[in-house]
Amino acid sequence: MKRKALTILSFLLLAAWLAGCATMEPPKKVPYRLSPQGTVIWEDEFEFMPPPPDWKLLRVEVGENDINFGFMKSDPGGYPSVTSFAYDEEPFGCTTKFEQREKEFFKRFLFNAILQFQILERKKVQVVGGEGLAVTVEGKDPVKKEKVRATVIFGKRGERIVGFYITQWRPMDGSYDLSAFEIFDKFVNSFKFLKKSFYETL
Amino acid sequence: MEGHQRNLYLYERFNARVLGVSRDDIITLKYFAKSLDLTFPLLSNVTAFLGVSMDVQPEGRPIFGRRTVIIDKTGIIRYVRDGSPDYKDILLFLKKMNQEGRLDPTTGGKP
Repeated sequence: MKRKALTILSFLLLAAWLAGCATMEPPKKVPYRLSPQGTVIWEDEFEFMPPPPDWKLLRVEVGENDINFGFMKSDPGGYPSVTSFAYDEEPFGCTTKFEQREKEFFKRFLFNAILQFQILERKKVQVVGGEGLAVTVEGKDPVKKEKVRATVIFGKRGERIVGFYITQWRPMDGSYDLSAFEIFDKFVNSFKFLKKSFYETL
Repeated sequence: MEGHQRNLYLYERFNARVLGVSRDDIITLKYFAKSLDLTFPLLSNVTAFLGVSMDVQPEGRPIFGRRTVIIDKTGIIRYVRDGSPDYKDILLFLKKMNQEGRLDPTTGGKP
């Protein structure tokens, strides 16, 4: 009898422990919601037009409390054919002047890939309600026989520079899909800050 | 380090100054600063006495542990955090200290 009671007690404890495990899992918090207009409201801080559904959400943990997210899509043609674009609250570099920041940024942009970059276009643009700078480059890796086309757009949020960038990788003999750059432009042009940044509130 | 460089104008606003300390030699630090466009001072402490005084020198290892220390105008350590700097936390702390007058050079750090 005593043994049976102990067995039942053990099962009860096990059930309680398992129930505890089940309740330990916190509900996954999604950082965004959709507005009735079809835009995305990201953490009540940004609003933008999302890309078509075949683009996957990409979120980078930068470890410095700064926001860095974007979207990516695998393209036909196999490796390395992929396109991704992102918003970056703290693009490489430090200065608050666009031209200087461009130089600092490209010292480290895709640094690990060891590419030979060529600037295709540099122009002043309007972005997030102010003046900005858009730079389009092409990088080539003759050893791996890969290439990348990228556009980087620098804008201002308060006193600080923020960045948007798109990269499209291809094999050296592949052709770029410029329609992805149009989707990126729509994303950037629709991008709005819904509140002041942390730095602006200091 | 780049985060500190981006925040220099805010440190200025809060009457704070930043400097880095490492066991690397001066030439290495010069190249490091140049590669990241850092303009604030980096101190070369090859003999490690600063690391020992801040308790970031692991025994038998040639590098310091990563630690952020905030010292007020009177020389009192007010903030210590290990690991990568939490820049927002640092800024909020400096803002609070500045409001309390602990960083104000005109008061000599006295609130």
